[in-house]
Amino acid sequence: MIVEDNPGDVFVIRAALQKASVDAELSFVKDGEQAIKFFDEADADNGAPCPALVLLDINLPRKQGGEVLQYMRGTRRCGQALVIAVSSSDTAMDREKMRGLGANCYFHKPSTYAEFLKLGELVKELLSR
Amino acid sequence: MSGMTAVGVSALTAFVARGEASNRVFQEMMDALPVSIYTTDAEGRLTYFNPAAVKLSGRVPQLGSDHWCVTWKIFLPDGTPLPHDQCPMAIALKGGEVPTGIECIAERPDGSRFWFTPCPAVLRDTEGRIIGGINLLVDITDRKNAEIQAQEQFRAIVETTPECVKVVAPDGTLLFMNSPGLTMIGAASAQEVTGRNVYDLIAPEDRDRFREFNESICLGEKASLEFDIVGLQGTRCHMETHAAPLRHIDGTIVQLAITRNITDRKQAERTALLLGAIVDSSDDAIISKDLTGVITSWNKSAERLFGYTADEAIGRTVANLLIPEDRQDEEPDILARLQRDERVDHFETVRRRKDGTLFDISLTISPVKNAQGTIIGASKIARDISDRKRAEAELLASEARFRQLADSMPQIVWTARPDGYLDYYNERWYEFTGFARGTYGDASWEGILHPDDVLKCRETWYDAVQSGQPYNIQYRFWNRQEGGWRWFMGRALPVRNSEGTIVKWFGCCTDFDDQKRVEDDLRRVNLDLEQFAFSASHDLQEPLRGIKLYSELLTNMYGERLDSQALEFLSYMRGGATRLEMLVRDLLSYTQVTKFEKSVEDSDAAEAVTLALANLAGIVEESGAQITTGPLPTLKVHGTHLQQLFQNLIGNAIKYRSPDRTPVVRVTSERQDGGWIFAVSDNGIGIAPEYRENIFGLFKRLHNSDEYSGTGIGLAICKRIVDRYQGRIWVESEPGRGSTFQFTLPF
Repeated sequence: MIVEDNPGDVFVIRAALQKASVDAELSFVKDGEQAIKFFDEADADNGAPCPALVLLDINLPRKQGGEVLQYMRGTRRCGQALVIAVSSSDTAMDREKMRGLGANCYFHKPSTYAEFLKLGELVKELLSR
Repeated sequence: MSGMTAVGVSALTAFVARGEASNRVFQEMMDALPVSIYTTDAEGRLTYFNPAAVKLSGRVPQLGSDHWCVTWKIFLPDGTPLPHDQCPMAIALKGGEVPTGIECIAERPDGSRFWFTPCPAVLRDTEGRIIGGINLLVDITDRKNAEIQAQEQFRAIVETTPECVKVVAPDGTLLFMNSPGLTMIGAASAQEVTGRNVYDLIAPEDRDRFREFNESICLGEKASLEFDIVGLQGTRCHMETHAAPLRHIDGTIVQLAITRNITDRKQAERTALLLGAIVDSSDDAIISKDLTGVITSWNKSAERLFGYTADEAIGRTVANLLIPEDRQDEEPDILARLQRDERVDHFETVRRRKDGTLFDISLTISPVKNAQGTIIGASKIARDISDRKRAEAELLASEARFRQLADSMPQIVWTARPDGYLDYYNERWYEFTGFARGTYGDASWEGILHPDDVLKCRETWYDAVQSGQPYNIQYRFWNRQEGGWRWFMGRALPVRNSEGTIVKWFGCCTDFDDQKRVEDDLRRVNLDLEQFAFSASHDLQEPLRGIKLYSELLTNMYGERLDSQALEFLSYMRGGATRLEMLVRDLLSYTQVTKFEKSVEDSDAAEAVTLALANLAGIVEESGAQITTGPLPTLKVHGTHLQQLFQNLIGNAIKYRSPDRTPVVRVTSERQDGGWIFAVSDNGIGIAPEYRENIFGLFKRLHNSDEYSGTGIGLAICKRIVDRYQGRIWVESEPGRGSTFQFTLPF
């Protein structure tokens, strides 16, 4: 699951995952509220799917990424999903915060394409564990 | 027969004895003689007596039966009865030697007594046998009475005088001493000492002197002597003796002396000398005068103080000599008080010296009494208090100067005692508070303070008072003119004396309300600005990233389908985005300079340089720059700030290198008063003099981005950092040769 509001970033993330040949079903959520709703629905319906990995942008409209993470970790069914926190910010404070909330990894969004592709590698590596 | 000597009488009786006793001529002669004569037979019975004898004895003896003295009671001079058979006539008749010069007392039948000297002689026949005696009685009563009276008078004189009267033999034997003398030497009676040697009673160290003295008196001289005796009990007394030679009965010359005990007098003399010495050595002038104000004594210090010698001063009056004209009425007043037995204590006035100069003086005057308790004069102690008066005057003057200064200052000025009690406020205080004058202490200032500040103020103030550290506080005073509270800054410093003890606090309250509000506003604005800058730069980064990414993607994915112009446009776009990114990052950096609020620990400048060089690794390698450093210190500046400084300056040094030569950059430091001075020098293109100031401004660039890349914020960031530490930054440069950037930072 990719929680990201910026379509430009969505495109590049998709490209990166493709390039790295990540074999997974991709679902896209545009804001924090929608993400939370997804988790609630999953809890309610045992048949609903849970993501194996969440790419979570910190800077989201409505509900921030940190809130979403915190909420998710509290849910019954999807609480244990892998989470990569993704952000244009690179401050130690943010890294710490996300780690504290339960993120498994932190990815700083680069401004070059080449750098961005590394995200794909990272995802592939995590999924294979 | 008073003119007759004993020899003469004996000659007469001898003569008569040789003649015939019955010769009528002789009998008539003997009857006529005024001296008592009688004759006896060999057994002592009276054979004849003359009328003078009857008169003397007081009865008519019976011839033939009465013995010579049978009716008389005879006594020796000392009063013991003399038996008849031992009287001189009896002894002579028995054939004994005729005693001469004996004095006896006889008692008549009527009880009266008389003194006589019997002059007996024996009558012998041709064979030498005693056939009778003849006795002549010399009436010595008058003479004896006179003698006795004289003796009594002498004894009376000698015993009633309080002095010791003594008679001493040439060898020192005591022949006589009267009762006062016996008391002086500690003898209970004359027997104890008469006949002993006086030298034993004299103190050992004076014995030789006394011996010489005694001997010269006994040679006929009159003299006096002072000496010590130890007496019989060992009590030492000081004696003064006046002695004269006296002819003793046996013809020798002895010493007659009158001696007095002068121990007390000597003690008094010593005390007087001591007191005199005390008076003379005193630092204070001590003067005595009589009740008319005439000076009677004048010590050394008085000479020093007034300039007159004792000779010049004694006999003159105090009023004349010492008191200036305008104070003449002080003397009668003082004398009157003395008459009333009142003391004058520490009376401060002015007196005049010999040279005419006036000076301040403190007088203490006490009445002086004689032994009966009558006031006979005064003793005066005078002390020059000119110095003290001058110090007092100066103190008053300096306090007046202080008040003048304090009242002219725009601040509120106050002082406090060492214990923290506020004891003075200047005019500003009263103007501002409207309080009444005369109130001091805690109550006097608490009323003006904001209630929230009262406790803190009291605590802070008394902490300072106890510790002696400077007092510093900010508090609010009520502004009664316009209402409302105004912020004041209170400061005080202690004033210490030469021993380091605090003697006073000087304090000041300054109205800094306007500044404070400005400060508060400024602080708030800065905070807002920082937050704004932070979030702005944060938010700006996102779209920037987008631009860069997609222009890159565009180039990569559609590059072949685009013509060279389109590609050029794209590169400009990407360039712009990159620049914008750098700008935003630098802006963020700029706003973050003042972010660290907590205190600074030590950081290593050398380490900062290393980190900076690591970040500059790319251009260092690319340019082949040679970077050297001198010894660099540790200092109390945030490591990040140091790193930014070096990174910007070294980066600039490499960036603005000369195309002709390899860039050489040198980083050095030097210790100065108050801090470190760092220098980053290069051999680059240099900076023209007119731009040396404004290159530190925000966004100021001397070159466009074609020639040298850069945001124009780098040096502004450096200046902001240096300013934060109250340092300075500047550049010295020679265009075409190179530049040296220098900045100062604290220890």
